[in-house]
Amino acid sequence: MNIPRPGQVWKWLLQTRVGRSIFRVGLPESNLERSQAMVSSFLLHVQPAKVHRHSLKASYSMGLGLISLYLLFILVGTGTLLMFYYVPSTDRAYNVMKDLQFVVSAGLVLRNMHRWAAHLMVFFVILHMCRVFYTGAYKSPREFNWVIGVMLFLVTLGLSFTGYLLPWDQLAFWAITVGTNIAAYAPLVGPKLQYLMLGGHTVGQEALTRFYALHVIVLPGITFFMVSVHLWRVRKDGGLSRPAEGGDSVQRIALDQLPTNKSYGLMELARGTTPQVGKNPEDEVFSWPHLIFREILLFLVVAVVLLVLAIFFNAPLEEYANPVHPPNPAKAPWYFLGLQELVSYSAFWGGVVVPGILVGVLMLLPYIDRKVHGVGRWFARERILANSIFTVCLIVAVVLTLIGSFFRGPNWSWQEPWKKPAAMTEGH
Amino acid sequence: MQNDSLHKFYGWFTFLGLLVGCLVVLGYYKDEYREWKEYQHRFIQEETKRATTPQQRALAERTPVEIRQIILPDLNRVDRCTSCHLAVEDPSYGGYPQPLSYHPQHGQHPFERFGCTVCHRGQGRATTKADAHGYVEHWDEPMLPLKYIQASCGKCHEAGDNPSAPELARGQQIFETVGCRGCHKLAGAGGILGPELDKVGARRSPEWLKKHFLSPASVSPGSGMPPQKLAEKDLDAIILFMLSQTGETAPGYYASMKVIPSAAQGQRLFQQKGCMGCHMVDGKGGVVGPALDNVGLRRTPEWILKHFRDPQSVSPGSVMPRFGFTESEARALTEFLVHLRDQKVALSLPQLLGPVERGHEVFRKYGCAGCHGQDGKGGVPNPNAKTAGLVPDLIHVADGYTKDELRARIVKGQREINAMDPKRPAPPLYMPAWGGTIGEAEIDDLVAYLLSLKPKGEDAGF
Repeated sequence: MNIPRPGQVWKWLLQTRVGRSIFRVGLPESNLERSQAMVSSFLLHVQPAKVHRHSLKASYSMGLGLISLYLLFILVGTGTLLMFYYVPSTDRAYNVMKDLQFVVSAGLVLRNMHRWAAHLMVFFVILHMCRVFYTGAYKSPREFNWVIGVMLFLVTLGLSFTGYLLPWDQLAFWAITVGTNIAAYAPLVGPKLQYLMLGGHTVGQEALTRFYALHVIVLPGITFFMVSVHLWRVRKDGGLSRPAEGGDSVQRIALDQLPTNKSYGLMELARGTTPQVGKNPEDEVFSWPHLIFREILLFLVVAVVLLVLAIFFNAPLEEYANPVHPPNPAKAPWYFLGLQELVSYSAFWGGVVVPGILVGVLMLLPYIDRKVHGVGRWFARERILANSIFTVCLIVAVVLTLIGSFFRGPNWSWQEPWKKPAAMTEGH
Repeated sequence: MQNDSLHKFYGWFTFLGLLVGCLVVLGYYKDEYREWKEYQHRFIQEETKRATTPQQRALAERTPVEIRQIILPDLNRVDRCTSCHLAVEDPSYGGYPQPLSYHPQHGQHPFERFGCTVCHRGQGRATTKADAHGYVEHWDEPMLPLKYIQASCGKCHEAGDNPSAPELARGQQIFETVGCRGCHKLAGAGGILGPELDKVGARRSPEWLKKHFLSPASVSPGSGMPPQKLAEKDLDAIILFMLSQTGETAPGYYASMKVIPSAAQGQRLFQQKGCMGCHMVDGKGGVVGPALDNVGLRRTPEWILKHFRDPQSVSPGSVMPRFGFTESEARALTEFLVHLRDQKVALSLPQLLGPVERGHEVFRKYGCAGCHGQDGKGGVPNPNAKTAGLVPDLIHVADGYTKDELRARIVKGQREINAMDPKRPAPPLYMPAWGGTIGEAEIDDLVAYLLSLKPKGEDAGF
């Protein structure tokens, strides 16, 4: 008997009446079909029909933005499932965590996946930002997309921070107490801002309600809108940044200059160094399969890593939140620990001035650093000054975060992590 | 970069796809395998083995394998203990190895109303042994060792009320006699040198309490509390009493059930609620209502109970109001009146005691003995105090103080205790100001009591 190979089955399925009605093109055989596969699909048309070889190099983009996007999708998926169980009530939220662990099918894996994906997303968004900086990719014409990126970074922190409170355990309660106290150091608006966030002067039911609404509807809505703009602009600004190519750093294309022998639609109309059919075709490859396959591969890698984390490592859950029994020290979530460390030196300078300047400079960066040299290469020589400044800031941030995470004991005193903490007077 | 270079992708797709598949299967298996299922299978096996008829056998085999839980909304608890402890209600499983052992019923505590953790503690929502028994990180309420289990009775019942919790009563008695209240407040009464004890049972573990009683400074550095020399059995009883002080309040239904309807309880209520304002017992009391010594002969218990619920319902025209007793209070009062039929009860009213006796009560009530010794006969160590390193005894106060001086001394206290050696740390214990804590009249009685104290053999006088 002849057993058909999986590939043959797939092919046959795609060319049936139903298959063709869904996928229109089927498995592309010709270049025309390859571009049609992209353009005629709602999910794929966001991406170009052809991409530059440089953009496919894993050593260039490292897929960091895409990993962040995948993590966002996973977070939305797992988060939606968690919403079927979660109740934003100080009496019941903690019990829901216990029920997820003990009686809900796959509840614990779901929560683990959501938690680890959230941490990873903050981490990869930061890495993505570093990549864009070190390759000078924020320069013209991508200035505003960098600004959107910085905002997305802040929204990501907001999403993670608001989600941090929801389990309503000691970790959640005190991390949010510390985090919102840092916000209160801002001059003039600080205390009002804290009051607005918490719906009161302390973390309680009102804070939980607000954080929940922000976490499940407001911030995800903003994120989706801004991610859409972010991706849209990547295409409109001519794809990923890459080094100028001798002679063809193409000017804006006027409409009447459009080639007539195009094999794909008007969606390629863009500005900047846009691929023009017939001009340098040897540098362009079809997105199907060259880009799509890489994307699928990357997704599989992300899925494997997350599954391993979710199956073998449980998300933390401490005692039920107790407003009169603070842990010592009470720590903010890890991405704010650098900030908390700064605040421990000076509330005003560390909590307001330094982070304020950093965010301001990050936002305005493309308008401060306007030279167009060294775009599209890692650590370009022409950018040594900018790269050095950025690296120093980055190292300081990492060191502060590490100190805050591992070297701070009771009363925020210095504490080597390999030494046993001093005996607590309020032992349990 | 043409199609042949894409072949490596197919290899990776297959490998990673299979890896994802394996992980999903592994995750599913980990999620599907749960400790409690094993116990349920064991239980079904046992039930099948015991079946004598084919019908019973079929019934046993059809027992579903599922989470079992007791949902207690009023107590904010969900107890899933019966997911593993499946035979708690089946006496034929008496003496079976855990988790399939029978649990004898405790009076009015049906499982479906009380669950398990309200007495045993532990983590009711959990479904693994380690988590459910609560000896895990980040869980404050591990299971109570069985020798302290009577502590849980004290969460609802008054220590003396509950005849099935003798250790709890003993613990309370020790607490009141060794003078803990001298330094610690409990239910609003007591001193200020040590922390309040209202929720100590929720904060502290039995191990911590034991260490603390034997050597307070070892677990609370800087504590001035003297080590308690208690026999092992007494130590356990007072730990048990401490564990009963969780600060929890019984809600709704549970509050209405907490008074145990015993004759002794009824007698206490009878005196507390002021029944003697109208009714006479043992020749004491008012004359508005009938004397009650023989009411048990004249009326049935049902009649009396109805009368407590609503006097008009059984004796129309009665001037006795509906007092709104809880069901268990009404039952306790009924028990007491029925008890009077068979036995004469001497009711002593506090105001019949003299000031010295009342003062002795005050001395006990506020735990003066904690520092000054039983009956003021000698103090506990107070390192570096000029008074020979001890808290002074009180049996000589009549020689050194006038009534007013003594009164002022109790009201104002003495914050600074003279040190024997000024270079060493100041004595940890001092006399707090009791004014405002001990009532005016109580202080008068206390002064009278203290002035009556004399060392043995000095009655001869001068």
